[in-house]
Amino acid sequence: MNAIVIPIEHVLLLAAVLFSLGLFGVLARRNALFMLMSLEIMMNSVALAFIAGGARWGVADGQVMFLLILTLAASEVAVGLGLLLQLARRFGDIDIDAASDLHG
Amino acid sequence: MNMLWLVPTLPFIGFLLLFVTGGKLGKGAVAALGAGSMFLAALLAFWIGMQFEHAGGVPFRLPVWQWIETGGLTVQGAFYLDGLSLVMMGVITGVGFLIHLFATGYMAEETDYSRFFAYMNLFVAAMLVLVLADDLLVLYIGWEGVGLCSYLLIGYNHHIADSVTAARKAFVITRIGDVGLALGIFVLYRAFGTTQISALMAHAQAAWPSGSVICSAAALLFLVGAAGKSAQTPLQTWLPDAMAGPTPVSALIHAATMVTAGVYLIARLHVLFMLAPDARFAVTAVGLLTLFIAAFAALVQTDIKRVLAYSTMSQIGYMFFALGVGAWSAGVFHLMTHAFFKALLFLSAGALSLALHHEQNLFRMGGLWRKLPLPFLGMAIGAAALTALPLTSGYFSKDAILLHSFGVQENGPIFWAVASGASFLTGLYSMRMMMLAFFGATNTEPHDHSTAAARLAMQVPIVILAVLALAGGWFGVASLNTVLPDHGVHEAEGMPSWLPVVTAGIPILGALLGWLLYRDQRGFVTRVANSSQIAPVKTLLATGWGFDSIYDALISRPMMLVVRANKNDLLDMLVRFGAGLMRLLHDLLALSENGQLRWYGANMALGTIVLLLFVVGVL
Repeated sequence: MNAIVIPIEHVLLLAAVLFSLGLFGVLARRNALFMLMSLEIMMNSVALAFIAGGARWGVADGQVMFLLILTLAASEVAVGLGLLLQLARRFGDIDIDAASDLHG
Repeated sequence: MNMLWLVPTLPFIGFLLLFVTGGKLGKGAVAALGAGSMFLAALLAFWIGMQFEHAGGVPFRLPVWQWIETGGLTVQGAFYLDGLSLVMMGVITGVGFLIHLFATGYMAEETDYSRFFAYMNLFVAAMLVLVLADDLLVLYIGWEGVGLCSYLLIGYNHHIADSVTAARKAFVITRIGDVGLALGIFVLYRAFGTTQISALMAHAQAAWPSGSVICSAAALLFLVGAAGKSAQTPLQTWLPDAMAGPTPVSALIHAATMVTAGVYLIARLHVLFMLAPDARFAVTAVGLLTLFIAAFAALVQTDIKRVLAYSTMSQIGYMFFALGVGAWSAGVFHLMTHAFFKALLFLSAGALSLALHHEQNLFRMGGLWRKLPLPFLGMAIGAAALTALPLTSGYFSKDAILLHSFGVQENGPIFWAVASGASFLTGLYSMRMMMLAFFGATNTEPHDHSTAAARLAMQVPIVILAVLALAGGWFGVASLNTVLPDHGVHEAEGMPSWLPVVTAGIPILGALLGWLLYRDQRGFVTRVANSSQIAPVKTLLATGWGFDSIYDALISRPMMLVVRANKNDLLDMLVRFGAGLMRLLHDLLALSENGQLRWYGANMALGTIVLLLFVVGVL
């Protein structure tokens, strides 16, 4: 079997780029839906890093973590979309900056 | 004599009943309670006095209750009766009852009738505690009690700003003296571990040599207390203003009884003063100074009650002078006769001004002797006794003081000359007061609108006091012989034969001069008083030598400066600085809590990065 081995540095670099893009999206977007999507990207980048690690050392832990993250992402989206609906109902908008009533 | 405790208790019960009913009783009931409790107290005091004399005048001590019992201090609430407290008790209950009786008529038009008699009864109870006390702490209760009642009664007309100010002034200034008294008690307690008067005196006699510093210090502190209460220089300024109170109050508290408490205190502690010649000299000096200051001030007053107030100060000056030169019994004798004639003067002046719609200005009176015969007679007899015309009561007591002072070892003739000079002034201002009020042209028509009962209630005390002012001197005060160190009033020996005649004649000369000056048109006096050289002096005297302005400039104003500087609470600023710093930090941190989810997210990310950098070891 002559598989092409992608060096782990490349995968981790990709994960870091994806993570930064996601973080930038969370911080920069005001639309809560896009924030949720950016969160998904961040989580996927983390999951990618786990997979790469698992492949590199030849253990199953990376894939176990990926499954957990997948579950987490699903439940997070369920809660996040619920919050999103409430946000839209209360403010008639899903601008996250409008929900700042808890300021000091 | 076991009933002694009942004497102060009776007026106190009167006070309690009047106080508890709070003005719901009718005027008749209030008068019956107020004056009736005094009548019973006076009867009882008289009866106890008879028993005391019958038993040979042996001092009598009646323990009533155990007040304080701690490790270092035991105070028994006990009453002590000897010749001195007997005289005081007699004056307080007797003259007090007459003044209460007068007040039932005098105050008949007032709305706050019940409150007035409640305070008056409380005053008498406190005053009796003061003079019957066996212990300095019990005496102090009475001392503060009379001060409180004096304050309450001067401010009786509490809707008038002047009387409230006067009440406060009296309270504050007498409090300065009270500090002296309290410190004196502390000194004695520190030295001997007890506050019982007779024990203290015995200890002091045994332990302190004559003229020792501590003894002089204690005596001087007591002198400060006495001077505050008795309106002596330099704490005299409250008494003229205290005339803002109703006239019966002036008669009872500020002439007959409370202001003589200082004299009583010094006489009671005479052992201490005998051991301290310096303090005794200070007593003499204070007395002489006050005597003169007050007599001059009385010369120019326009308010009849202020004339009487200054004359009270000056007569108490005589008493202090007497105590200072060692004429102890004569001083207390003068206290008694002064209570008679000064109460008479005040009550007559009260009846007089009541008939003139509360007019007190001498220059708006005049020509009243035919229209108001009883006040006129009362004032005339009182003024005669005040001037010490021969055979009146004042003559016996005052001349005893003056003659005794002549025989004092050092400076005797000088003392005599100065005090006699003041008695010349006494004659002059008494005659001036009489001439202005009762002779010359009528300026205000009297209107007597009192009811017959009220008029009778006012006339009876005036008549009785007039008799006492005339004849009170004949009783003497034999009961003092065993108490005070000079063993009673007696003829001085080795005097030049001219002395008694001259002493008696000087006040008569003063009165004659007054008669000459104020007889007809008073043109000469008016011209002198209004001349440019004399007018400032007159103003100075009218304000009582400007003591008020001096105290204002020396004490009140600097105090006000401090107060104003401290209005922002300098010390609080230190504390508030810490609070302000915390507040500032709080506000800064609160800025970060802006409720923006994205801002929180960014901070979290930043925090994580910083932490990671730490972990990696870059930072």
